[in-house]
Amino acid sequence: MKLGMMKWVVARKSIAFVAGLLVGGSALCTNAFAGETLFSNFVFAVESAGENGALWAFSRDGSYSGVTLLNFNVAGKGNVVTEATAQSPVETDTLTAARYEIFEESFAERRRIPTIYAGTKLGFVLPMFAMDKDERYRKPAGFYTVRDLKNVIENPIDVPSVANDLDTLKDDPMMYANSGFAFDSTAKRLWVARGALGVMVHDISGKKNTDTTFILNTKTKKLERLKNDAELDFKYNPEIFDVQLHPESGDLWLATAQGIWKRTSNGDVSRALESSVLDTMRVTGLWMGGEPLQIIAETNYKKDENSIGGLWRKYGEKPKDFSKVNFLDTAGKKQKKDIYDEADYTVSDVAFIGKTAYVLVRAVGGSISGYLKLDSLGAKAWEKDDDGKDQWLYGYETGATDRKAVIMSMTTFPLSKNRTGLAIATYGNGVSVSADSGATWSIVLNRAKLSNDLGSIRMVPSVITPGDEALVSYKLSKDSKVTIEVFSYDMRKVRTIVKDAERNTDASRSTNAKEDFWDGRDDHGKDCTMGVYYIRVKDNHGHVGWGKAMTLGGNFR
Amino acid sequence: MMNLKNLVVAALAVCSFVGSAFAGPFTKKSELGGFDGFVERMSGGVRELGRGNTGSADTASMPGAFWNPAILGFRENLGVTLNIERRDLDRLGGAFGIEGKVGKRMGVGFAMLYRGDRDFKVIDDDDETMGTAKPFFSMFYLGFAYRATRQDAFGISLSMSYDNLDVAQYFEGIEMEDSFRSPVTINLSWLRQWNAKWSSSVVIRNLSFSKNLSAKWSKNPSKDNSLASTEGVRPKVLQIGLGYRSHIMGKPVYAWMEALDYQVADTLLAFDPQLHVWTGRVGFECEVVPNATLRVGMDDLNWMLGAGYKFELSIGRKKYPLEINYAFLYETSAGLWSPFTLGLRGYIP
Repeated sequence: MKLGMMKWVVARKSIAFVAGLLVGGSALCTNAFAGETLFSNFVFAVESAGENGALWAFSRDGSYSGVTLLNFNVAGKGNVVTEATAQSPVETDTLTAARYEIFEESFAERRRIPTIYAGTKLGFVLPMFAMDKDERYRKPAGFYTVRDLKNVIENPIDVPSVANDLDTLKDDPMMYANSGFAFDSTAKRLWVARGALGVMVHDISGKKNTDTTFILNTKTKKLERLKNDAELDFKYNPEIFDVQLHPESGDLWLATAQGIWKRTSNGDVSRALESSVLDTMRVTGLWMGGEPLQIIAETNYKKDENSIGGLWRKYGEKPKDFSKVNFLDTAGKKQKKDIYDEADYTVSDVAFIGKTAYVLVRAVGGSISGYLKLDSLGAKAWEKDDDGKDQWLYGYETGATDRKAVIMSMTTFPLSKNRTGLAIATYGNGVSVSADSGATWSIVLNRAKLSNDLGSIRMVPSVITPGDEALVSYKLSKDSKVTIEVFSYDMRKVRTIVKDAERNTDASRSTNAKEDFWDGRDDHGKDCTMGVYYIRVKDNHGHVGWGKAMTLGGNFR
Repeated sequence: MMNLKNLVVAALAVCSFVGSAFAGPFTKKSELGGFDGFVERMSGGVRELGRGNTGSADTASMPGAFWNPAILGFRENLGVTLNIERRDLDRLGGAFGIEGKVGKRMGVGFAMLYRGDRDFKVIDDDDETMGTAKPFFSMFYLGFAYRATRQDAFGISLSMSYDNLDVAQYFEGIEMEDSFRSPVTINLSWLRQWNAKWSSSVVIRNLSFSKNLSAKWSKNPSKDNSLASTEGVRPKVLQIGLGYRSHIMGKPVYAWMEALDYQVADTLLAFDPQLHVWTGRVGFECEVVPNATLRVGMDDLNWMLGAGYKFELSIGRKKYPLEINYAFLYETSAGLWSPFTLGLRGYIP
């Protein structure tokens, strides 16, 4: 386990406390000056906030979860500029939207955090998990609706007695976790995929909100109301992993353990397509959007402890059925092997801009993450690496993030009247936003204020284990050549990080995050012994600054 | 004609100077900075610091249990030393020693060396300062000596370290352990006072009862094994010292030299030069006026200047010899200078 995955304490408590004091209990604080204050840099989900330039981000750090509302505009050259951020913690710290073991889980539907923007009345919708008896967040507890920063509302969902009667559900409550949302803005209904407990509709059309849960009966081809003492038979009542409203027909599509089903507006239930290759498959995710309409489906099942995934698509009106997504090399030639042959990938999110679908995938454990760009032909590799392997995943290497952080979530949002923004949430490196469909990115994350001319050097974080990255954070007042070196306590130089590297002046930080970090190792790649180390930053104008980092040490090699 | 002794002396002197001036080029693969034992490398005692951290061949060096336990065999009185070093970047160090004679031929002494950082900012991934930690690293020595002849003494000291990183309070979700104690390691030494002018010493440090006699142990930074355990490894050290006393223009002058070999490998003996780091120390001192001494020295590439003053404190009928010492230090590689080091030592007759 790396320290980056560990939980920091104290500051978050004090932030929540101080913020609470500032606004008299509503625990809201704003930062319109730096524009770089997230609830935490560990962001699990991003979602449109409905208005132009507005984006929601859900973060969790240690025991504390919170949301941040970010406001952007686009500068003359197309750069995204953060105008303001405001944040609020969720009210109950025993509830969160980030479930336990979201990185390690082998089931695809459990490895993502489904979100949706559900109009002004509900706002940003997220799942909600409570702690089990072992204090792990793996007990489905309902969903959050975040209308605004003062209204982060917990919506508990009743769990029918069948969930406690069936051993399989009792042993693994995540079988009925919320794994998908769809919002019918006309009928004012929020549909919630509940896995083994079918699908729930949260009706907000009346004066009083009502929740009703249905299970799919494939024998009678009906969505039947789930009674408290109902008996579930997974042979005929398949789990429902995701829901989508078809943007053209308005039908409700259900991704189930037995293919894709649909419910029309008059209540008829049938297979979504007359005959589909996915009819017998465990369809764990469904996404619709783009122009022409693309429907992306993910299949996933377990075999011999391995998770077998597949990515399918129905592009436009012509094809009658789904087909596997083509993976093309840099020349556009279809490849036999794709990313699913390399690792256990699952889809975290899909975003659409015009003809392109951005499919965010993540390998188990979070070791690899990135997004595929699907055009009409498929996913085309953007490069071949030194070993001749096609590189399909966009991410750190293509500038979407400037640190190797796990990409957790992706969304589109209206950046301005005529421009769609693309945003990604990263685990540890904040939020990245693009105004040009992913060609260039602006990164928003918490940064402490630095003094000019190397007046203050901050190692972020300052306690690491070998292999982690402690970012050398510094600020220059003019473009300079910078040398960064690491010294042991007795001032022996153990590492040169960069020598005479060109760095530019910047309003907040001159650090090149891709190079200016220390990984706890010496010049020969050996882990440095546990202790405090001193990082010297020198520029070519005679300025010298010092930072400190602690490594918890590695192994003698 | 040069006799054997002078030849050895000359060779050692050359080694010290060469080691001092050219320590860098020898360390192609192995780095000392990344290895445990910097508390030991930085030494203890402001008097000795002022002359390049040389002290193993001087019977008056304190704390003897650290410098060379054989020194304890030459103790006639109860000696006490207390030293404080305030180095740049909030580094605080110190050394304490108490030692005395046991019987006619034996001596015993205790030493403690301390190094810490008084202002380590704990910064999390959100670039927020969680608080200030005060990590420290300490070494304890218990030394014994036997004076075999009027000229020779042999010593042994048992040493162990205790470190406290002081950061566990900033993490939750894992049961973090941030204090560590090393197993006992052994240091062996010999000191010979050849005559009124020459003395020499040999100290072998950091032997252990484990495989390859390596001072190596596991440190587990989490009680629930959620963090990978790490290894503390202290390199075996061969330290050879030499002292020369003379007079120039009627003033007592002293020259001290030490050559050190750090074996940076977990083997009994490594002959590959890539696995060794050689450094040297050299120092000179002169009693410019009675009881007032000026010192200059070089430890590896670091420069030192020092001064000392001896006086007596009378309490009742008893007189206690005391010495106050000061040292100025310039750490060359880092470009840091430290003007605040003070030491006090004395004897109880």
